[in-house]
Amino acid sequence: MIQFNSTRETVAFLARRATWGLAPGALDEFEALGVEGTIEFLVNPSAAGVADEASAWADWDFTYDRSDRRTSRAQELQAFDRWMKRLQTTERPLDHQLAWFWHDHFAVSFQVVRHLPAMLDHLELCRSLGRGDFRELIRRVTTDPAMLVFLDGATSTGASPNENFGRELLELYTVGIHNFAEADVKAAAVALTGWVVQRRLGFDARFVSRRHDDTPQTLLGVEGVHDVDTTVAAVTSSAACPVFIASKLGRYFLGDIDNPTIFELGSVFEAADLDITALARATLTTGAAGNASPLVVSPLHWLLQSIKSTGARIETESLIRALGLLGQVPAQPPNVGGYPGASTWLGSSATAARFSIATALAGATPSDAPALVAARASDWSALADLLLRPTGFSEPTLDALNGLDRFVTTRPGEGALALALASPDLLIA
Amino acid sequence: MPISRRNFLGGAAGAAAVGGGAWAALLRDSVEATAPMIPGPTTAPVSTTNTAAVATSPVAASPRLPLTNRVLVVLEMNGGNDALNTLVPAAGGYRDARPLLALTEGDLAALGGTDYQLHPALAELVRFWDDKTMSAVAGVAMPKQSRSHFQAMDSWRSGVPGSPSQTGWLGRWLDLTIDAERNGVPDPLRAIALGGGSPALVGVETLATAIRNPANFNLMTQPGTDADALVAAFLATSAPLVTEPTLAAAQQAIPGTLDALALLAATSSDTDDPSFESNTPGAGRSAVDLLGTAARIIGMDIGTRVLTVSVSGFDTHADQLDNHDALLRDIGTGLAQFFARLDASGDRDRVMVVTTSEFGRRVRENGSGGTDHGNGGLQLVFGPAVNGGMVHGGYGLESLDDGDIPLMVDTRSVYQAALEWLGGDGSADGVFEDAPAPLAV
Repeated sequence: MIQFNSTRETVAFLARRATWGLAPGALDEFEALGVEGTIEFLVNPSAAGVADEASAWADWDFTYDRSDRRTSRAQELQAFDRWMKRLQTTERPLDHQLAWFWHDHFAVSFQVVRHLPAMLDHLELCRSLGRGDFRELIRRVTTDPAMLVFLDGATSTGASPNENFGRELLELYTVGIHNFAEADVKAAAVALTGWVVQRRLGFDARFVSRRHDDTPQTLLGVEGVHDVDTTVAAVTSSAACPVFIASKLGRYFLGDIDNPTIFELGSVFEAADLDITALARATLTTGAAGNASPLVVSPLHWLLQSIKSTGARIETESLIRALGLLGQVPAQPPNVGGYPGASTWLGSSATAARFSIATALAGATPSDAPALVAARASDWSALADLLLRPTGFSEPTLDALNGLDRFVTTRPGEGALALALASPDLLIA
Repeated sequence: MPISRRNFLGGAAGAAAVGGGAWAALLRDSVEATAPMIPGPTTAPVSTTNTAAVATSPVAASPRLPLTNRVLVVLEMNGGNDALNTLVPAAGGYRDARPLLALTEGDLAALGGTDYQLHPALAELVRFWDDKTMSAVAGVAMPKQSRSHFQAMDSWRSGVPGSPSQTGWLGRWLDLTIDAERNGVPDPLRAIALGGGSPALVGVETLATAIRNPANFNLMTQPGTDADALVAAFLATSAPLVTEPTLAAAQQAIPGTLDALALLAATSSDTDDPSFESNTPGAGRSAVDLLGTAARIIGMDIGTRVLTVSVSGFDTHADQLDNHDALLRDIGTGLAQFFARLDASGDRDRVMVVTTSEFGRRVRENGSGGTDHGNGGLQLVFGPAVNGGMVHGGYGLESLDDGDIPLMVDTRSVYQAALEWLGGDGSADGVFEDAPAPLAV
């Protein structure tokens, strides 16, 4: 449990967990909305008059040819730039938190897909369907060209099924380990055979019936499973599915939570017919009631929230490089399990990188930015509040800040700001 | 131990190349490396003695070496290495099961005294086989072996079959020996993970250092910064430990990091290894690079007892022939260079290497020119005291388990052998529950 002593503390918690950072002053607005109002704003920004968003890559036509590395690299950089800018400017931060959650969940890696438009389509799927009907999301992901390439569905044939996607569909995407048998893996693999990706024709997915084995399979006790729709129906109607997804999404936002909470969230999800927005609303509501644990934030969270709080001016190349040093390059999860967790973010590489990047962020913070002004004035409570920690810094961090010479950097206050950003406090949400 | 100027500039140049100048602009001109505040561990380990161990002696039988000077390197080949195309069996339907993937007979590297042959990309390892410092364990698995990457990895790393465990097999050994070797004081440099953290090192009291990519592991500050003062303040945020455990864990990471920076700065200061010139994220994480770093750490003799080296990509569901060749070439070259370094520094007899991989792959190939998740796999073991030039266990191809290689050897019997060599007879006691006896690997 986390003890919240004021509305400001609670909405700051929501901001740390469910947004990509708040600009100075925005926490006041959240506080004015109140806890319920903030959750409602995050979950349903349309009701607050926020317009729907198009894809971050919508108005952008380009021909992708990977053999031309100069051009294709520039396109990859631009795609990344548009993505990161969207995360930093969106008025629908929870949509993009959910999109990131699903990206991490499916863990499709550009290093495997190697086709930028297909990768962007996949990421857009995670965003546009990421707050909708879970069944539809799974159905679309199952025949998504990037996924068909990523987990080898595109080369899985009736004569010789490839189990890669079938296994992860069950283990990682829908019901979780212990809730299926080896025979289910094989059944899913057979039922999903026949899909190909036409690499030279727009990288589209196509179903080729002669590559498909239509023999009815029994999947998770459901008979007659033989294609995408029946496979998705079987896995998503499993009693384990809503609980599994609730536990994963719940832990993403709330950290360690107990089993009763997970089952409660699972029932909400099931009762809402697997509507992801309903699950997200219930998750944030239970978290705001204190039903949550301290959480080690991912590098992307730490970096973007730090940028938003400080107004640091960081170019896209630097962002990529920083995330690489921290161990989390967007669109490149290291394996099908998704991005690593706390043990990597607390590792020596990430710790050293956090220090170096914090100094760079502080260096790139405008002199009149409230965070730098507060740091210059040694106003640690104001600085902590700007960094979404209204309860203030921990004692050791406060002592370190107080012990730091103002002129440790050429620009007064810059050293203290760097130290605050690098501190253990900022790593915990 | 300051980070050398040359090494640091190498890093910054790499940054400019990657970032198109933006990052470099942030850190322009007099980018300064900062000297870590904490010196290396003060307990000076016994210096290296270069005994020529008898090659064929059984496990733990090179008494002239101080036991506390030995190092175990666990090379994790993550993703599930295909055992059958690594150590290739002569018979038993291997070729029938793999019309596309069976390796060409004439390309394979023969292993004297056995019917098995090595993948051609591992040909450099044959000489270790010949000098009896290498052996192989085929059909190796954990009991209740899972075909899930994550469950199988958990089980291989914890050494606990079936159920989840909070600790790893190496972490428990480090915990059990912490009193005898370190007066109970945790030393993060006793256990170092290269290429990413390994849950195998997780103990209750033990601290470990995880370095994802030694090639870009450094500290940087802005021009005109009193870097020493800023790093000192960073260190100050780590003490005293707060009571909240998550924040305390974030605090604890800081001193270990600064120690490790000092250590790696020292390992790289007298070398022209190109991996330290490159600051490209992702580069420097090959087996060649990581084992190179491991060899330098071993050569420093600073009391590191266990190193894990993690390499990924072995999940070869598709296009396996090319992918696996590249992966194994990295492993083969990495190990050959590693042992050459150890020979040169006189440390070869202090070091045992054991490879792991969470499972072997299915015997029959799939339709994508790859193989799916299987059961029994392969471990390679290297060291002065191994029962070398032998394949222990076997693939059991006549008695497949649901199309997979069955468990012929319990992984924990290999682990136990490694731990007993590392710490002496009986030093693996208490690490495993109900485990079979050590195998004379």
